[in-house]
Amino acid sequence: MAAPTTTAEESSPPQTGLNDVLDVSLLKEIARNSLIHALNSVNGGKTLVLDPSLAGPLSLVTEVSLLQQHGVDKMFWLEAGPLAAVTTNIVYLCRPRITWVKIIADQIKRHARESKKHTYTLLLVPRISTLVTRVLEEEGVLGDVTISSYNLQFIPIADDVISLENDNAFKEIWVDGDETAVYDASQALHSLQKLFGLFPRIVGKGDCAARLTDLLLRHTSLASNTGPETALATSVKFDSLVVIDRRVDMITPFLTQLTYEGLIDEVVGIKNCHVEVPVSLLNAPSNPAAPPSAASTSTAPAPALAKEKKRKHHLSSATDPIYAELRDLNFASVGKRLNRVARRLDDDYKARHQAQSVAQLRDFVGKLGGLQSEHQALRLHTGLSEIIVPFTRTDVFNKSLEIQQNLLASYDVPGQVAAIEELLAQGADMQLVIRLLCLASITSGGIRSKTLENIKREILQTYGYNFLPLLLSLASPPLAVLLPNPLPASTPAAVADAKYPFVALRKSLRLLLDGNESLDELENDISYVYSGYAPISVRLVQCVAQKGGVLSNPAGKQKGPEEDTDASKPAAAKVHAHPIVGFKGFEDVIASIPGKTVDVVQQGASSAGGDVSTASLLPQRDQTTITAVFFVGGCTYTEIAALRWAGRQNQGRKFLIATTGIVNGASIVEGIAGVGRAATGTKDASL
Amino acid sequence: MSDHPTASWQPMQDGNVFYRRQQSYSISGKLPNLGDCIVAGCRHGGPLAMMRNHTKLIALGRAAPIFSKSQIQVYSPAGEGLLLFSWDQAKIVRFGWAGDERLVVVNEEGVYRLYDLQGDYEQHSLGSEAAEVGIIDARIHENGLVAMTGSLQLLDVKGWEGGKPLTLANPGLSEPPLVWTVIPPDLTISRHVEVLLSVESTILTVDNLETVDQRLSRGPFTHMSPSPNGKSLALLTFSGMLWVVSTDFQRNLAEFDTGNVVADGDVRQIAWCGSDAILVIWDALALLVGPFGDTLQYFYSGPTFAITEPDGVRIIGPDVCDFVQKVPASTVSVFRPGSTSPSAILYDAWDNFSNRSPKADENIRSIRPELVVAVDEIIDAAGQEWEPLWQRRLLNAANFGKAFLDLYNPTDFVNMGKTLKVLNAVRFYEIGIPITLAQYNYLSPSNLIARLTSRNLHLLALRVSSYLSLPPDNVLKHWATAKILKSKPVPGATGKDADMTGDEEVSRGIVEKFEKLGGIGVSYADIAKKAWEVGRTGLATMLLDHEPRASDQVPLLLSMKEDRIALQKAVDSGDTDLVYHVLLHLYKRLPLGAFFRLIEDGGERLAPASKLLQVYAREQNPDMLRDFFYSDDRRVESAVLCLEEAGRMQDSAAKANSVKAAQKFFSEDKERSFEAKMMDEYGRLLAFQQQLEKETSDKIQFFGLSVDETIRVCLLNGMAKKADKIKSDFKVPDKRFWHVKLHALAGARDFEGLDAFSRSKRSPIGYEAFVRHLLEKGHPKEAATYVPRCDAPKRVDLYVECGEWRLAGKECKERNDRAKLEQLRKLSPNSMIARELDQIATSMK
Repeated sequence: MAAPTTTAEESSPPQTGLNDVLDVSLLKEIARNSLIHALNSVNGGKTLVLDPSLAGPLSLVTEVSLLQQHGVDKMFWLEAGPLAAVTTNIVYLCRPRITWVKIIADQIKRHARESKKHTYTLLLVPRISTLVTRVLEEEGVLGDVTISSYNLQFIPIADDVISLENDNAFKEIWVDGDETAVYDASQALHSLQKLFGLFPRIVGKGDCAARLTDLLLRHTSLASNTGPETALATSVKFDSLVVIDRRVDMITPFLTQLTYEGLIDEVVGIKNCHVEVPVSLLNAPSNPAAPPSAASTSTAPAPALAKEKKRKHHLSSATDPIYAELRDLNFASVGKRLNRVARRLDDDYKARHQAQSVAQLRDFVGKLGGLQSEHQALRLHTGLSEIIVPFTRTDVFNKSLEIQQNLLASYDVPGQVAAIEELLAQGADMQLVIRLLCLASITSGGIRSKTLENIKREILQTYGYNFLPLLLSLASPPLAVLLPNPLPASTPAAVADAKYPFVALRKSLRLLLDGNESLDELENDISYVYSGYAPISVRLVQCVAQKGGVLSNPAGKQKGPEEDTDASKPAAAKVHAHPIVGFKGFEDVIASIPGKTVDVVQQGASSAGGDVSTASLLPQRDQTTITAVFFVGGCTYTEIAALRWAGRQNQGRKFLIATTGIVNGASIVEGIAGVGRAATGTKDASL
Repeated sequence: MSDHPTASWQPMQDGNVFYRRQQSYSISGKLPNLGDCIVAGCRHGGPLAMMRNHTKLIALGRAAPIFSKSQIQVYSPAGEGLLLFSWDQAKIVRFGWAGDERLVVVNEEGVYRLYDLQGDYEQHSLGSEAAEVGIIDARIHENGLVAMTGSLQLLDVKGWEGGKPLTLANPGLSEPPLVWTVIPPDLTISRHVEVLLSVESTILTVDNLETVDQRLSRGPFTHMSPSPNGKSLALLTFSGMLWVVSTDFQRNLAEFDTGNVVADGDVRQIAWCGSDAILVIWDALALLVGPFGDTLQYFYSGPTFAITEPDGVRIIGPDVCDFVQKVPASTVSVFRPGSTSPSAILYDAWDNFSNRSPKADENIRSIRPELVVAVDEIIDAAGQEWEPLWQRRLLNAANFGKAFLDLYNPTDFVNMGKTLKVLNAVRFYEIGIPITLAQYNYLSPSNLIARLTSRNLHLLALRVSSYLSLPPDNVLKHWATAKILKSKPVPGATGKDADMTGDEEVSRGIVEKFEKLGGIGVSYADIAKKAWEVGRTGLATMLLDHEPRASDQVPLLLSMKEDRIALQKAVDSGDTDLVYHVLLHLYKRLPLGAFFRLIEDGGERLAPASKLLQVYAREQNPDMLRDFFYSDDRRVESAVLCLEEAGRMQDSAAKANSVKAAQKFFSEDKERSFEAKMMDEYGRLLAFQQQLEKETSDKIQFFGLSVDETIRVCLLNGMAKKADKIKSDFKVPDKRFWHVKLHALAGARDFEGLDAFSRSKRSPIGYEAFVRHLLEKGHPKEAATYVPRCDAPKRVDLYVECGEWRLAGKECKERNDRAKLEQLRKLSPNSMIARELDQIATSMK
């Protein structure tokens, strides 16, 4: 992993260096091994039938060749219709959802009718479910299937981000009321504890966060109950776990993300770290010896609209240093940075002219490979920026940004609502309109009933009456993000209580920065990521882990003379992280946000209790501890970027971001509406 | 000081082999006359069961305890009564012991019961056929039994779980055999049970495949007994000849004529002593016959009974319980008179040492190289001794020898000390398990603990297990169940309250004990299950509350029909799968109405269950969901469900109906008038679309489109009138209508139409929208025509965007904006335009 070289270059990416403290690739290793184990439990060659929603996560864990080594002859997507398998063994790998099970049952029955002999194994992710056995029983094929589980939990998607990659978590929890995702998350976090020790302290905000904490504590106490050998010791690496319920901060995902990575997600869409880009961006025409690794990834059929063939590309900071440098930047500064990289690259190429001796030439040739891959990456990112720039120039985009900024500042709310109506009339995306409308409702405590009814009517007329359930879901209790003002008398008390105190929070959490600062000046505060707005969720984390950052910009006073990031600042100038003492100092603010607040100190079992607790209260100066931040219901790329910024401002504390999945406003709205982005797929599956 | 070990030894085979008879317990007067009873003994120091032999007359007024006809009494080897129970079923044909110390009683109706030492039993049947023809005899071995039916068929039962009996090959008998026996499956080569039947002069071997006549001529036989290792068979012929053969009848092992022995009456029993000597028992004499025909005689005052052990034989006489065995090699090596083995010398050395004799050193010196062997042998010999005194002496000797060794692993020594302590404890007459070291090692410590708990000796079992560092869980569990069984609901209690207090007390007692003794691994659910089985539902519920694992609690609660609590617990556990488990179980068991009521009545606490039910039903069982919503008066959800169904429907009439149904549901809730109105509109739209399709004779697809899309399709197909009609029917705002029309016309490249439309009245969306949209669609030329109608200050920039530099320049001129013009010139893409702009600039003056 990252070598601890102190002579970091000027341009070195602002790596968090989390891996020095905690190696998350261990999780990948575990996931991969348990997959192999699960596959090997079925002897001989087998046909793998894969739940498409699992393909993305699996591709982060393993590759096709590995599956082939373990007897997978052919892979199919799990989809309705007959299945023509050659091998006797058929292995289904899917999440325990009824739709999948019904398809499987159908295929088995079809085989029985055609009197084909197969043995079926059903691997459920992440665990066996009674529901599945019941449905199989109802379909009358339970006896033919061996059911076991493949416990796929956290997948590292960056060196400081681990995700359960459950795309539907938000909808399942807050719309369907199915809290399986919370339970699975608690088990995944418990596995994390088994690896690295107990989180010394768990701090959380939100009802689901409370439930998750409760479950996690229960797992821990059960583990210590079964015997001293299974009891867990307190972790020395982690100083705490901060659980943030997505429901606590619905504003942030509804805003348009403005970091590079966030915008790619908004415009192109990042799915399980993969982005679909035109082939020409990936293959250097002049360079036939392009790394074949990219070619091994799948070729998804191009959507009919695109003229050019598209290909999935794995965006990863590990293989692409330029990406690591760019991903957290505000898009406004991406162009500048790209320019600088290009110029540096050019200089490096030119170095060959200075090569006089054979030795110098050999040096240059040695560097050539790196330069070429960097060149390739640069081409990709320039291309991506070119895709994004026209989008950011559109009328709709700019108008929506304007509306967002005004709403955040609570400036002329009726005017903004009218502007949203205008966007609607122009035929903007449904998700955009809904996002803005929800934003207006949350920030201003509801939209005037008459106006709201009108807009709803227009939405239904424009996009179709079948979106009425969506509107109802958004307005009903657990979510309640689209409310009329005043509330009708009959609304349940839960909704009325859950009114979001945005205006108060804006002040107490310093959400909005004064407009007179230019973007460059903002760049060292987390509000940089939204061009002036600090995400509430991240502020809440700061309330626990970086209290100073909430009140004032920690880097503001000590800005370097001409540096635009604080990456190169002398480390000694950074504020040292304070110990974790829960929400102390912000209790009133936290209490004003609807949802339960939790703050639990966990005692390790074996290690001498008192000794450890004092140690965790007063961490050694030189020791870096990790604060894990778990988002129930998903987080956005921009929030990740903001947390990375926050992490860089402190010394002695790193953030590990864990989430049920990556979301953005579009994916949330479309998820609830049930109109996910068109899934692509062929009959023959690949990763 | 008790006798020297060799005092009980008797030599055989010219002094090469010794047998010893040790008195385990003195039991005079404790047992009834064995001659009057049918007796069955359990191996490994287990108890004896006896029942009066009805074929014998009994003299009244004897001192020994006697019991009435249909009773079975169980005694420990030390003569303590363990259990007495009456038999009220059909005639018993045979009883014997299963391997786990349960008494198996088979009756003539083909029913067998397994009694544990507390008198609780399980009952199984040998099948209806057996019940019909009746059972005339049975042989019981440790892991099963073989029964002989009235039709002389053999039924084999494997294990004690009540498995189905298997009929063995038909032996083809016409009358019951004289004697018969079985070789247990674990001792045969085929791993299936083998039955040996003595028929006339020969023996038939029967297994599940075939019957083999061994073609012997020495029969008939009166006694037959297989050795404990299953390799040899002892037979006694009618003429009193004892004959030992291998069980495959291939090898003659020994012959001995018992006719020469002076004894009263007939041979009562022949039993094996270990696997190499045979005990032949008469009324008052037991004769041990060695492999080479040498004999030892043991005299008793009355009838005896012998129980074969793997390493010897236990003889129960009227006054004593003896254990006869071949003296183990290690003991012989230490104590044989004149032995010069290292262990004997080491023992001697220790003896000298404790007598302060200098010979000790000399002794040790002489065996220096073999000291390790000597120490090991002495430790083993210690384990073979019955008397604690000699155990101690031998261990001391070993300890002494150990001190002379530099590197010696003391584990064996320590273990032997611990083991002996445990063995001595259980051999104590009140406990009465005369188990030997070999048997203990064979059975494992946990088995011994299980035997103690089955005698309700929980304290001893707990001590033993903590002494041996075994988890106390099993003991505690057994204790708790025993406590529940014992603690009958408070006697004389009336009403529910008394019952409750009794339950509470028991529950508290159990929980406290568990917490004190650290039985954290014990599953409360298992104990609660027991409580429930004996009908103490209240107690079971209380105990279940202490079960931390919801996954263990819930199934029992379900089977206890505590539906609400089960559901509640499942919900509280947060494990959605468990909730599903309960829901699906209840859905199957309860009537639908009760099922719904259960969930609805749960209110807020059961809300997650209700939600999960909806998730499940939405996919798998929409009809149930409809009923559920209906029964709970959930109009909105019902409506949404209808709407979802409408979304999936292809058929237009059905779809319209679903929408209508949704509208109806919404209209029933007065809070939902807006939604009802929307659904009404939806219905009208669908109807209108159907009509449109009819008018265009199904050439154009309208059905299912949104309002805006319908307008667009109308416009694209030149049905502007219809579009206008929709606009007015659905009250589409002007602005939106204009946008839609703009997009539609631009999309169709109908620029004339667009022009006409733009002039139809003053645009409510302004004309900039026209320009921008046309630009976006790539029609800059057409876009430019709308620029003059836009707001004046924006015109210049709009012209530039349309690429009309000259017009932009002109515009500047008109507005006399020199600065802007200058700016334009700087931006101009080529020199020609720059020149033109220059011209305009000059003309401006």
